[in-house]
Amino acid sequence: MNGVLDHLALGFGVAADPMNLLVAALGSFFGTIVGVLPGLGPINGVAMLIPIAFAMNLPPETALILLAAVYVGAEYGGRITSILINVPGEAAAVMTTLDGYPLARKGLASVALSLSAWASFIGSCIAILGIVLFAPLLAGWALAFGPAEYFVLMVFAFCALTSLLGDQPVKGVLAAMIGLAISTVGVDANSGVYRYTFDLPHLADGIDFVVVVIGLFAVAEMLQMLEKLLSGISVEVPKSERKLFNLKEMAFTWWTTVRGGLMGFFVGVLPGAGASVASAMAYANEKRLIEGKDPNACFGKGDMRGLTAPEAANNSAATGSFIPMLTLGVPGSGTTAVMMGALTLYNITPGPVLFETQPALVWGLIASLFVANIMLFVMNVPMVRVFAAMLAIPPWLLVPGVLSISFIGVYAINATTFDLTLVVVIGVIGYFLRRMGLPLAPLVLGTVLGNMMEQNLRRALSITNGELSILWASPVSMGLWAAAISVVVIPMAYRRYRRNRAAA
Amino acid sequence: MALNDRVLGVFALVLAAFLTAFGYGLEAPFAYEPVGPRAFPLLLAFIIALCGLRLVVKGGNPVEPNPAGANTRILIMIGLLAVYALMFQWLGFVIATAAMTTLVGRLFGGAWVRCVIGGVVMSVFFFLLFDKVLDVVLPTGILGDLL
Repeated sequence: MNGVLDHLALGFGVAADPMNLLVAALGSFFGTIVGVLPGLGPINGVAMLIPIAFAMNLPPETALILLAAVYVGAEYGGRITSILINVPGEAAAVMTTLDGYPLARKGLASVALSLSAWASFIGSCIAILGIVLFAPLLAGWALAFGPAEYFVLMVFAFCALTSLLGDQPVKGVLAAMIGLAISTVGVDANSGVYRYTFDLPHLADGIDFVVVVIGLFAVAEMLQMLEKLLSGISVEVPKSERKLFNLKEMAFTWWTTVRGGLMGFFVGVLPGAGASVASAMAYANEKRLIEGKDPNACFGKGDMRGLTAPEAANNSAATGSFIPMLTLGVPGSGTTAVMMGALTLYNITPGPVLFETQPALVWGLIASLFVANIMLFVMNVPMVRVFAAMLAIPPWLLVPGVLSISFIGVYAINATTFDLTLVVVIGVIGYFLRRMGLPLAPLVLGTVLGNMMEQNLRRALSITNGELSILWASPVSMGLWAAAISVVVIPMAYRRYRRNRAAA
Repeated sequence: MALNDRVLGVFALVLAAFLTAFGYGLEAPFAYEPVGPRAFPLLLAFIIALCGLRLVVKGGNPVEPNPAGANTRILIMIGLLAVYALMFQWLGFVIATAAMTTLVGRLFGGAWVRCVIGGVVMSVFFFLLFDKVLDVVLPTGILGDLL
């Protein structure tokens, strides 16, 4: 227990650094804006800021605090438009519209906003507590992983991510493979052989992952916005109402919030299942649990419990998804995959040893998550009107703004026109892949994990001189294979069962 | 051409063929490990080909076509971005960004005057913010010493 307190003291020491406090506040603010704007989510915000943080020579822990604040900020921001205009600001806020918008229609918009901010805060606190308790344990356990176990762990991460993505796992697999293929470009570290570089000197170091991420999440996204011309929306936050929720409402939603937070945490820790899955599961769970007992439940028509459950869950899942990234070096969501890519820019490879080699980074990040959540809670209650006003930014300013910030970032890394051109090419390809229903999160995960996956596979096979059996020799890898197979088979069987039942 | 899963499948098969064609000859001059540089790419190509085959055989899932005019706008924007990327260094950040902002803004239905003002203000503001305040060096291009 003393160890935990020492670590927390170290972490809060880092978080209390004035620069880090400032960065956490700015990141929270920027993240909330990104979350509010429909079409931009945490992954876009993080992608835009990575190269800039790097170019500004921010130390790694400061950069990571910035990105983490943006990530949790976006989860806070998504709920604002969900409640006010029934448009989720980002994917995980879809469930918030179900009861949030009806509450606003009842004249409780401000109460719904503050209560959901409170739920988000509680959800995050539960997840942070979970990180403090479980992450060191998991990291200690993962220290015993050899290359074979790592390889299988990554296979498991891909299986989890692709099978949860919906009805067409084949597209998820294809996306992951394309991402892995992108990572093979460049000099092969083991043999010095140039792979897929076509004598272009700029490709020798491989395709920078920032280029891939900006191409996919800034350029492709902006191309997609051209499909339907939208204009800026002006949203009024009603003024005359009660601003804050009261204690009765807090007590009324308390257990839903806590259950949502717990569920979100466990879903978030699983690789692959992110905040969107968590909020949907929490909502469905509360609905089933409460409707049987409480005749006054009005889920879907403005029940406060239907608002707090998904909000607590999505924030908790976002925070929980840091665990697999920090302890195993295998990210749990698209956004943490992007963050892990950011760490590799600093030549830091996340993984179990991180807790020993970079304690200031890890515990500083954890403490900063807590600090950023307090800031977000505080700024989200009085400043809702400011954030809602951001929706009035017309697309003819917003889109070029996003594009030029993205280009600044890409240019900042290597200062070459080549990277900028590559961003456009990848953006165009990404746009077509997205139109054909290819999920982009596995692609990012593939790009980030590619080298590690190949290296671990080759290292494992070197140990046995090419004998494949090492990949399932140890109990850990056998367990991971079993988990990987079940995470693919169970949803598939469940879908088939549901389809048959619907047909019958 | 209507986009559907079959088109995606063909794309995957082409990609797999490409990876195989340029990956098959990859061999290390001195092999001191059992798995060389080409095994992983070839494995990926194989799985990509399997996915492609399945998508081609199964087909379906036609993509809803874009509303009229959207494709032209998208093509113009791709062109604009390509020019922006190529001219970024030579023209310099301020001029290239002002031009890109104005023209992309037009694509999104902004009025000429507003787009020009927005473009100039935004490019100068970003230059000052990033280059001067945040120390992210941006190209000055043909404005050279003026900035």
